[in-house]
Amino acid sequence: MICYNCGCELSEHDYCTGCGADVAQYKKVMFISNRFYNEGLEMAKVRDLSGAVGSLRQCLKFNKNNIEARNLLGLVYFEMGEVVAALSEWVISTNIRDKKNLAQDYIDMIQSNPSKLETINKTIKGYNEALRHCGMDSYDLAIIKLKNVLSLNPNFIRARQLLALLYVNEEKWAEAKTQLVKCAAIDTGNTLTMRYRMEVDEMLTPVDGDGGHRRKKKEKSDTITYKSGNEIIIQPADTRSSSGLGVILNLFLGVCIGIAAAWFIIMPARVGIASTEAEARLREVNEQLDARTAQAEDLKSQLETALDQTRQMEENLATYEEHSGSMSSSYALIQAAATYLGSQEGDDLSSIADYLDDVDVSDLGQDSSEAPLKLYNLLMEMAGPSMATQFYDAGYEAYNTGDYEVAIENLERAYQYDPSNGDALYYLAQSYNHSGDETHAVQMYRKVVDEFPDTEKAVKSQGYLEQLTGSAD
Amino acid sequence: MIDFDEELKKFHPSLEVEDVGEAIYNQDLTDMADLIVGMLKETDNNRKKSASNDQQ
Repeated sequence: MICYNCGCELSEHDYCTGCGADVAQYKKVMFISNRFYNEGLEMAKVRDLSGAVGSLRQCLKFNKNNIEARNLLGLVYFEMGEVVAALSEWVISTNIRDKKNLAQDYIDMIQSNPSKLETINKTIKGYNEALRHCGMDSYDLAIIKLKNVLSLNPNFIRARQLLALLYVNEEKWAEAKTQLVKCAAIDTGNTLTMRYRMEVDEMLTPVDGDGGHRRKKKEKSDTITYKSGNEIIIQPADTRSSSGLGVILNLFLGVCIGIAAAWFIIMPARVGIASTEAEARLREVNEQLDARTAQAEDLKSQLETALDQTRQMEENLATYEEHSGSMSSSYALIQAAATYLGSQEGDDLSSIADYLDDVDVSDLGQDSSEAPLKLYNLLMEMAGPSMATQFYDAGYEAYNTGDYEVAIENLERAYQYDPSNGDALYYLAQSYNHSGDETHAVQMYRKVVDEFPDTEKAVKSQGYLEQLTGSAD
Repeated sequence: MIDFDEELKKFHPSLEVEDVGEAIYNQDLTDMADLIVGMLKETDNNRKKSASNDQQ
């Protein structure tokens, strides 16, 4: 502590040792100032910000040069969201002591963050605008504005208190209480907050008894209704104790009502639901059945078509098989004709004969055209005698040499191509006879007898026939 | 019971950041120490004046 007159450090005496000025009253004033500072500091430590503001302002009224008190006051203002007031205190503080002053750090901290400063200014302007809305009875707009302000600066006590007041005006007690609780969390000793909160708590507390709180609108109501957030809470105003019989009667009535409700309301609904489900299921099954039936019909038609095709193919195959014989005969006939025409004077008669062996004369007549049969007859007329002569000569030679097998083969063909050649038939019979094939021999002898009667061959054949027939018998 | 209108009157517009200088300028910084010192000095002057009058 220094002397107000000369600036010397004061001692325990009531006068200045430097200039002799009376400092007794001055020292008392300084002591009172320091006491208020200590009190304000204690309050600030327990977040009694309003109390701290009061004490610190008192402190500064006694000693405006108390830098610590002024800095602390600015800090408390800042915590309450009163940034302008805080800046004012800090600026004054730095003017009083420009070096080694914590206030300068606070100012630098705010000034170094322009966006933060801008946000703070925006919240202040928003608060002032909300106040203007209140003046114009536009409370809804004011609430919206204040909510916006508090989202940017949640510690702005005055804005929060104003919002709580607006909620109280609209009888939104729960919302008001929420805001007041937040206010109390920031500033525990704010008397305005406490007063509002008492009122709100009173409105939210149910009435009971004679000395209860005021619930003007709800005194005669059986229930108490109030809003908590978005929920409307309804609770009975008073509960009456019932006797045992009454409880049993109520229980019985409750059970009866429950059964009746189940019988008349729930059961029909359940039955209706079940029948609806069953109908839906039946429809589904019917649809499936129709689909399957249609599928079966389709498959049946496909099967019939396939059977028709099979039948048609079988007929075609049969027709093809029928014509295949005539075609092969025709082919062999053509080959024979080609061989005959290509040969000189029929010198390749054996080949022609081989082809003609494959010709079935009965097949040639099946076609609508008569050409194959005519060709066959023509070829037989032209080449038949020559072939018959050649086969007869070969057969007769083989007969004479005792080669009956070759003789039979050639003589049969000689007779085939020239049925008038009775010698060929006779020697064929002889060849069979000499080869031991008596059955064929008998057949051939009989042919000679039948086809060439009154000839020497017929007489001889008859003799052999009798001989063979007699031996056979 | 809260009187809304009366309570609303207690809320005043807040100073904006641009108004800091004006707020500081308008702040009455006179403290108790100034008053005491003034009184003491005035008392001392009065004493000096009365002493000089006595000497004359």
